[in-house]
Amino acid sequence: MAEAADIVHISDRDGVTLVRLRSGAVRTEAEVEALGRGLLSVVEVPGQRVVLSFLGVKHLTSLVLGQLIQVNKRLADSGGEIRLADIDPQVYEIFTITQLDRLFKIYEREDEALASFAEDAEA
Amino acid sequence: MTSNPPKTDDMGAWTERVFPTSLAEIRGTERDVLTRLRELAYDEDHLFAVRLSLEEALVNAMRHGNHFDPNRSVRVWYRISPDRVEIRVADEGTGFDPGGVPDPTADENLDKPCGRGIMLMRCYMDKVEFSPRGNEVFMVKHR
Repeated sequence: MAEAADIVHISDRDGVTLVRLRSGAVRTEAEVEALGRGLLSVVEVPGQRVVLSFLGVKHLTSLVLGQLIQVNKRLADSGGEIRLADIDPQVYEIFTITQLDRLFKIYEREDEALASFAEDAEA
Repeated sequence: MTSNPPKTDDMGAWTERVFPTSLAEIRGTERDVLTRLRELAYDEDHLFAVRLSLEEALVNAMRHGNHFDPNRSVRVWYRISPDRVEIRVADEGTGFDPGGVPDPTADENLDKPCGRGIMLMRCYMDKVEFSPRGNEVFMVKHR
């Protein structure tokens, strides 16, 4: 069984949780579930601000999109938010086709996404 | 499973694979298809489109068709020529009405976790057709 730590690396960046996917593709039931567990573990703290980096991810499926939507909903319910970054152009097209770019704030690089939370706090 | 093998025509014979309902099983079929596409020098956009659509079709078959029941099988046929790719995927479920799937891009559905697989298949492939019962999908991608 895949462990969440095998799929995601989680760190704190000045109060913002940075999540990087370890695997280029998340595909088996165990990997998708582990991704969900990893992401859900970061939403246990109410109001959590999260940046999810897709660096190195060349492929994803609607199963992963479903996991992201569930995490986004949980975060929103507690006053938190997830922002996405480093999405490969072909993978980004999946977000535009499904119009999930309307649901998520998406940044070119993770440092821009991290900075956007700081800018919001200053505003 | 009641599906019959597709007929052979100018595209040549179909490759058939049957496997139990497990997402881990997708990789072998995906690898074979991508290898053949690369041998025929299909470009990266085609590889991405076919890989995504094949995976979505297989995930749908396992998830919505077979309800992840490992005792149920998924059957896939594919054939690849220099000018097009044809893929057929069948599950052992009761089928569904593709027209009844809600639009995942509608405002009221945007935050719902399901319903995007078929949409992606229709966007990335040139033809996507379901059997009358809805437990089999046929997809074509032209070069």
